[in-house]
Amino acid sequence: MAELLLDPNIRLWVVLPIVFITFFVGIIRHYVSLLLTSQKKVSLQQVSDGQALVKSRLLRENGKFIPRQSFNMRKQFFNNEESGFFKTQKREGVAQNPMADPSMLTDMLKGNLTNILPMIVIGGWINWTFSGFVITKVPFPLTLRFKPMLQRGVELASLDASWVSSASWYFLNVFGLRSVYSLILGENNAADQARLMQQQMSMSQPMGANPDPMKAFKAEWEALEICGHKWALENVEDELIERSPTPVVPYGPHNFLSKMKVK
Amino acid sequence: MATSRGLHARTDLQVPNEPIVYNELAIRTNMSILSYCRTFVSAISGSSAGILGLTGLEGFIFYFIVSFVFSLMLCVKAGRNWQEFFRHRQPLVTSGLFGGLFTYVLFWTFLYGMVHVY
Repeated sequence: MAELLLDPNIRLWVVLPIVFITFFVGIIRHYVSLLLTSQKKVSLQQVSDGQALVKSRLLRENGKFIPRQSFNMRKQFFNNEESGFFKTQKREGVAQNPMADPSMLTDMLKGNLTNILPMIVIGGWINWTFSGFVITKVPFPLTLRFKPMLQRGVELASLDASWVSSASWYFLNVFGLRSVYSLILGENNAADQARLMQQQMSMSQPMGANPDPMKAFKAEWEALEICGHKWALENVEDELIERSPTPVVPYGPHNFLSKMKVK
Repeated sequence: MATSRGLHARTDLQVPNEPIVYNELAIRTNMSILSYCRTFVSAISGSSAGILGLTGLEGFIFYFIVSFVFSLMLCVKAGRNWQEFFRHRQPLVTSGLFGGLFTYVLFWTFLYGMVHVY
């Protein structure tokens, strides 16, 4: 089958070790990145700003369900010319440049440290240690253009390009094992995933306040300013009476109660 | 089977004329189950292609045939009420098709090398 006879020692000491090294480095990287992730610090001010924005948005969306007086009271709390929340609160803008924020910088550094550095270091090490011979054959034909890249250190003009050396086998492993990691780490990742979800939940509220609270306040002020009050429950009694003409089926599918439960 | 695990987590949507409420967590769980299955099928089919000794275009055709059959199986598994579990039918067929190709090529190359080269 193969027109080139390879030493079985290569299989035992090169091909298999590369698979194991790539695989376990990926696992270790996963856990190291778990160790290195730092909880994002959110200041009390940011949280309260975020909550104010959320409250104002809720008022805009659901304000039609409360009486006009209540709506105007809440609107005045935010938008009053003299004493409104969005008018009086002054925040200095958070620095836009990520370089100016040291915690952001360390986060970026950690990301690089756990993602790119091991790949380069191990790739270089494998390329250096196992260079000078082909280790396997890919079962599909490759064009000659790949030869210098995939057969580095083997300068044989007549050798078919599908014989590859260790570096390309390593990269094939890196890309191919990526989804296998999600298969394997996904099983005991349940706690991890839940924590991720939680993080996102807590992130979503101060999200609006994060970049620049003043800008967010201004936008929210405008949105609330143009938002009028239209009471949705104007004719609620009539509608209710129309919808259930006779109390024959008190808990039927079109019951008012079942409708309210979803809300 | 793994597909039936997170599927019943979605909220009921029986009231007509109401905006449909989706459970984000359940959607994500379903999608990740899809990708698990896809990865698994890629690995298995890659291994079998390597052991069978398929080379060149045959191997890629084999991958697409296998993943097509797998998509059909997923559609059958989801059944008539697939809307309970997925918003669109398209991810059943296409999700992770090319991500799985890398895994397939890895296992294919590995077992081809083990069985046929050495």
